[in-house]
Amino acid sequence: MRYAMALDYKNCINCKACEVACKEENGVQLGADKHRIWVGVKEIEGEWPNLSIASSTFEPSQCQHCENAPCQEVCPTQATHYAKGGIVMVDADKCILCSYCMEACPYDARYVKDETMTVDKCTFCSDTRLARGETTTACQATCPTKVRTFGDLDDPNSEISQLLKTREHFTLKTHLGTKPKLFYLI
Amino acid sequence: MFALAEKGMKQIEKFIPMRHTDIRELWNFKKTPLNLLVAFTTLVFLVLFVVGVSNYMIHGHHAYGVTREHPWGLMIAMYIFFVVSSTGLCIMSAIGHVFEVEVLEPFAKRAIHGALVTLLSGFVVILLEIGHPFRMMIYNTISPGMTSAIWGMGVLYSLYLIFIVIEFYFLLRHDHKWAKRFGIFGLVVGVAAHSNLGAVFGFLIGRPLANGIYYPLYFILSAMVTGCYLIFLMYGFKYKLNFPEDMQKTLVATAKILGLLLAILLFFEVWRMLTLIYGGVPERAETALHILKSAPFLAGEILLGILIPFFVILLSNAKAIKTMVFASFTGMIGIFFMRYDLVHDTQLFPMQTLKIREYQLPPSFIEYTPTMTEIFIALGAVGIAITLYYIGDKILYLETDPD
Repeated sequence: MRYAMALDYKNCINCKACEVACKEENGVQLGADKHRIWVGVKEIEGEWPNLSIASSTFEPSQCQHCENAPCQEVCPTQATHYAKGGIVMVDADKCILCSYCMEACPYDARYVKDETMTVDKCTFCSDTRLARGETTTACQATCPTKVRTFGDLDDPNSEISQLLKTREHFTLKTHLGTKPKLFYLI
Repeated sequence: MFALAEKGMKQIEKFIPMRHTDIRELWNFKKTPLNLLVAFTTLVFLVLFVVGVSNYMIHGHHAYGVTREHPWGLMIAMYIFFVVSSTGLCIMSAIGHVFEVEVLEPFAKRAIHGALVTLLSGFVVILLEIGHPFRMMIYNTISPGMTSAIWGMGVLYSLYLIFIVIEFYFLLRHDHKWAKRFGIFGLVVGVAAHSNLGAVFGFLIGRPLANGIYYPLYFILSAMVTGCYLIFLMYGFKYKLNFPEDMQKTLVATAKILGLLLAILLFFEVWRMLTLIYGGVPERAETALHILKSAPFLAGEILLGILIPFFVILLSNAKAIKTMVFASFTGMIGIFFMRYDLVHDTQLFPMQTLKIREYQLPPSFIEYTPTMTEIFIALGAVGIAITLYYIGDKILYLETDPD
């Protein structure tokens, strides 16, 4: 089982409902820097009147749950580990807050959770929604334009596998060899 | 309390020859203006340390200026500053007493004492930086992340500490056979630990400025430079610039080695910068250009850290050892900037390049300013190093021949 997410990012309207749902579902503390997921804004390029409307897009993102995760490799106590389904998780009991994973993550996907003073990140809702038997993440369930599709890459019939077969897609910072599992559909 | 401490010292004296066992001797020093200035500065630093640590105990990591985008700050830089000094002194000591280069032997003991003192000061800083230091000791042992350079660093520096303590013990007892054996272990493990610390940065695949072979090599080279600077400072202070003839020879030889090391360091810096900028590789080249134009790099690292001492050596044919003491002081300030810059520069380029909030500009180079708490603890650690050095200097025989 390899959990992943496909993002039909051109459908994103930057309503940030996913950010709110994530905070609500996973009890992520309030504050601008304390986020597990975010929506990046690519601003319009060019000068009036030659503005490039095509350059203005929204890019929702979060932990890429890399198959070759730099954060897991650098963790001195194995607090960051691969859980069931290849989800990259942090064991708060083992985290010593050396911040090496924050330094090593090429996607800025990690932050310090003040309640436990340990590093925290997206879990694909594995300890909340998936643990309750649901099959979607909070960000996916709340998205009004159905940007997100979460599922198992190893199941050829899953929605995400079908999407990736039929749609062109790219991943972020692919050249680093981290094998990210967040796929952006073109 | 004094009586108890004295009793303990007398017990220790059975194993290690000591100059004084009376702890009150520590307050007994020549009240020259320079000595008083150093004593007063050290005292101020120690008070600042207490203030800084108190604030850290109350507010935790919030007392530091580190952020999500810049998780490592002044504390990591100071830790590196101290352990670099330690490795450098260990290597310089080994050249004399392990490889038996006679002219460098006189400072073997003092250098190892310095190595111990700076290593312990570095440990104090890192204990105040790591969020959960006790958890670290437990899980580094029972759940080791073998692929982590920080794990390797923890193990190697612990071994290094053990080896140099034993080496120092044998040196103090004038047991050169065993001092040499443990000196070799200390040297090998020290070099491994220190290059491994370079690899903590070199292994960061997402940070093109740091990623690669450069830092592990540069750490060893700049450690040796730091070791030489500290030897000049220690002896400059000890003899108040009136060096005896033997020591003059030793310091001239040290200056010659330092001149060569600085030339190599300059060579490293030039090729590093050219390689980083050449071809305009995105992220790497623009960050390097940003660094190249920054004052801490130009004035701190290059001018104070390399050029001033280098030209003093070059123009005097390594004979101006008195001037070198002052040049070593600027050198150490430069070395501090080297450590600070390597931590800060690695994190300069943002990993998140998109705007993610309203009323925000797209992220550009990440800024970081240390808080007063960080500055107080950093200065305090210097105070701890000076205090420990002074205590050792006062109670132990740190010269090759006991006076």
